[in-house]
Amino acid sequence: MKRRTLTQWLSAAVVVAGLSGQAALADTKIRVFSGGQNQRPDLMRKLFDAYQAQNPGTTIEIETGGATSELQRQYLSTVLNAKDTAIDIYMIDIVNPSQYFNAGWLEPLDSYVGGAAALKPYLPVYSQANLVNGKVAALPAFADAMFMYYRKDLLEKHGVKEPKTWDELTAAAKKITEAEKNPSLQGLSIQGAPIEGAVCTFLLPYWSQGKQFNDANGKLTLDKEAATKGLDMWLKMVDAGVLKKNIAEVTTPVTVNEFKAGQVVFAINWGFAWDVFKDAADSQVKGKVGVMPLPAVAGGKSATCVGGWQWAVSAFSKNKPAAAQLVKYMSTPEASKFLAREGSLLPVFQSVYTDADVLKQAPWFKDAANVIIAGQARPISSQYGQVSDVVRTNTNAALARTKTPTEAVNDIEGRLNRVMR
Amino acid sequence: MLKTLRDPSEKVLAWLLLTPAFLLIALIVIYPVGKLIYNSFFDLRLSGGANLGQFVGWLNYQDVLKDADFWHATQNTLWITLITVPGALLVGLGLALLANLPFQRKWPVRLALLLPWALPLSFCGLIFAWFFNTDYGIVNDVLRRLGQQETTMWLLRPNWAFAAICLTIIWKTSSFMALILLAGLQMIPRSLYEAAEVDGATRWQQFWQITLPLLMPSIVVALIFRTLTALQTFDIPYTMTKGGPGNSTETLAMLIHKTTIDYLDLGYGSTLAVFMFLISMAVTAVYLRRVGQTA
Amino acid sequence: MTTAAALWSGKRLRMAAAALIVVNGFFPALWILLTSLKSESELVRKPITWLPHAPTLDNYVHAFTAQPLLHYLGNSLMVASLSTVLSLLVAACAAYAIARLNLRYRQWILTAIVASSMFPLISLLVPIFETMRSLNLLNSYLALVLPYTVLNLPVCTLVLVSFFQSIPKDLENAAMIDGCSRLGALWRVVIPLSAPGVFTAGILAFVNAWDEFLLALSLNASAAMRTAPVGIALYQGEYSFPWPLISAALVITIVPVAVLIALFQERVIGGLTQGGLKG
Repeated sequence: MKRRTLTQWLSAAVVVAGLSGQAALADTKIRVFSGGQNQRPDLMRKLFDAYQAQNPGTTIEIETGGATSELQRQYLSTVLNAKDTAIDIYMIDIVNPSQYFNAGWLEPLDSYVGGAAALKPYLPVYSQANLVNGKVAALPAFADAMFMYYRKDLLEKHGVKEPKTWDELTAAAKKITEAEKNPSLQGLSIQGAPIEGAVCTFLLPYWSQGKQFNDANGKLTLDKEAATKGLDMWLKMVDAGVLKKNIAEVTTPVTVNEFKAGQVVFAINWGFAWDVFKDAADSQVKGKVGVMPLPAVAGGKSATCVGGWQWAVSAFSKNKPAAAQLVKYMSTPEASKFLAREGSLLPVFQSVYTDADVLKQAPWFKDAANVIIAGQARPISSQYGQVSDVVRTNTNAALARTKTPTEAVNDIEGRLNRVMR
Repeated sequence: MLKTLRDPSEKVLAWLLLTPAFLLIALIVIYPVGKLIYNSFFDLRLSGGANLGQFVGWLNYQDVLKDADFWHATQNTLWITLITVPGALLVGLGLALLANLPFQRKWPVRLALLLPWALPLSFCGLIFAWFFNTDYGIVNDVLRRLGQQETTMWLLRPNWAFAAICLTIIWKTSSFMALILLAGLQMIPRSLYEAAEVDGATRWQQFWQITLPLLMPSIVVALIFRTLTALQTFDIPYTMTKGGPGNSTETLAMLIHKTTIDYLDLGYGSTLAVFMFLISMAVTAVYLRRVGQTA
Repeated sequence: MTTAAALWSGKRLRMAAAALIVVNGFFPALWILLTSLKSESELVRKPITWLPHAPTLDNYVHAFTAQPLLHYLGNSLMVASLSTVLSLLVAACAAYAIARLNLRYRQWILTAIVASSMFPLISLLVPIFETMRSLNLLNSYLALVLPYTVLNLPVCTLVLVSFFQSIPKDLENAAMIDGCSRLGALWRVVIPLSAPGVFTAGILAFVNAWDEFLLALSLNASAAMRTAPVGIALYQGEYSFPWPLISAALVITIVPVAVLIALFQERVIGGLTQGGLKG
């Protein structure tokens, strides 16, 4: 009796061990750090669920460690500096791959995606940003860029055409605000607070003059005269009453809220704003909004600042192959189409912009494609943290008039010459 | 714990009583502080320079002394300390004295003292930044109603921004001071005041001869921590102005934060932290001596 | 008494004082309360509105549904309470040793305890994270309780030291003559008599732990263990800062706690001090 029970127990144990062993082999848990509200974790969850269905045994958990880039950077800094293995995949901003890769925090994806060629299908600006030192640092999730939103209704009412240059925009804004006689109507709203968006505020007129901030090797190639002209352009608009005097206080949410409340004629903002103006319950501008590429400086070309988010695999992950597979899945044209259809997140593939389904949901994407293709990425530097800080602080100082544009530009050059060599 | 022990010698008891504190501090603080000091002697710029991980001796320390940003931030920090520590003390003392008056129902006053402290620091700055917002802040609204024509751009002028930040800090921390001082006031026996009144002392004399001397230990304690937190001021200027306009309201703690989180320069950031420690120690050493002395 | 003194004496003075204190303490809280009843577009109206035009409770509903706020509050409560109790216990023991027992190195010990708060937390963050990770405590209550206790130890210890020092030694000696041990004297005589100090140290520790953000963000990042301040910070987005929603969350987070503490303080402290100090 005893012997039989023992054998029975033993065989049962073996079977159980075998089963759990098998289950353990197939059972992977992937943890994804997926940013905050504006990176649509709800949509990403749907994609993850679809992936889980196709790959049984894999569970994907989302971690939201901070709602804004600042908080996320803080969290990631801590966790990655401690070489933590808990998180396998990170969603990072377009400006981060170079810095994080050089810090040794990102796993090069070349062996999982077939080398640098894997980046070719994407829009050129994203292929560039994600290729660091010849290696694939991350794959694009979705795109973004700065657009010029404007009050279609007001332009029509006053017989003003869509401005193609900044001078035309200044004239148009003045004509409209003077005619409307509304003291709280602003001509143009941009971001002047010392936030990341201020880097774009600096670069827009600079790029429009055809200048580059750095060369392909990351060395600073600042044209001081052009940069000063750029900052001067904004200040002239303040003096003309087109930009409000305290423009150095304005952050992205403020621009959105003011435009949404009907207090702004022209506004520069990211792609997400379109849906806000169209769909928000308290939007005063439903149906009155147009979107167009940014104006150019006189004699220059239209230039915009590109944003967007990327998927990267942590260098300290214990599930690198599985994580890389998931990252590949999330960066396919199908995923891009899903995000575009469901969340109006701008696609990273040119073909998706002209897809019929997508255009049905977001007709404005047709024009958006050209804007992004012509867009430029902010300086790709392994020390982007410092670059960003120097540029945005000095832009803010210039707009707040605590420094003259010349001083601000000199400061930028002085500090970044040492950093971007 | 209340079993009748035969009293061990006082020294042993003392060390026993101190052990939990030492253990906790050892667990949480010793390794981080050790690593911090260790890191300050290395080049730890994670941006992938060729020197990553190299021992650089005193180089970081020399660089700090030559760094204009460091001196500027330290200057800002010391100004904030000089203004907000006495400021919070005066306001806090006033609040505590007022709160100590015999009220029938004490809790509204207690609650009013507690609320500023209870408002999370991270949101305090944001709220006051909104109060001082040029377009939508109540400060400008009140000034407008009082007839002022020109709107002040509070947070865009270095001096005004600095003043706004100091005001916010004083508002929040006077609550901290008031709580400590109120507790101290409550320990002063009423009979002392009654005896003084019988002797014909005025309110003012009572304050100087009774209240202030007996309150001194609490004042010193409150000052120590108020000073330490003033030297480490981060949240309020960070959320109100992000150091702007330009760099004019950047404090030492903000510089450390920037260096560590944005620049990913752990070596230099650690060195700055060591400097902050040295400055803190220098400033508070004098107070600490007073506390240790027996009453 | 002169007319001026009569005018400002007694009730008038007290009412004025109360009004001053209450306005000072309440006005941002009041502003937050009013904002929580507004909608976002109302905030960018010029001139600004003080009272909400169309008051709505939507923000409160949204605050609870957008995130498990109650759960976060529960976490905060656990962590703050545990660390406060621990802080007070450890600090009381240490303070008694420093204040009463004749240690030679008293000054150094006190300095060492206070010195631990002389380093910016941001610089200590990564090593603390590593410590908690190697102890397998990440995403647990202890991960926060232990650091918070240490963060509050300097304040609590110093406050208690100064209070213990102000209590005349005779009272303890009397108790010990009656048969009490040292520890008994601490528990039965010294602590009750320094009740205002103990309670204040407790409030400071509790609120400090309740509001702490940096460690809570890094150490307890999982949604199940998240604390309230981190949760509230998640209502914002990269490009949006919903003041009304966040105000509602702040009201929910702060007001009940503060009211409870104030009520508790009046009952408990009132009772204790009336008994203990008879001059």
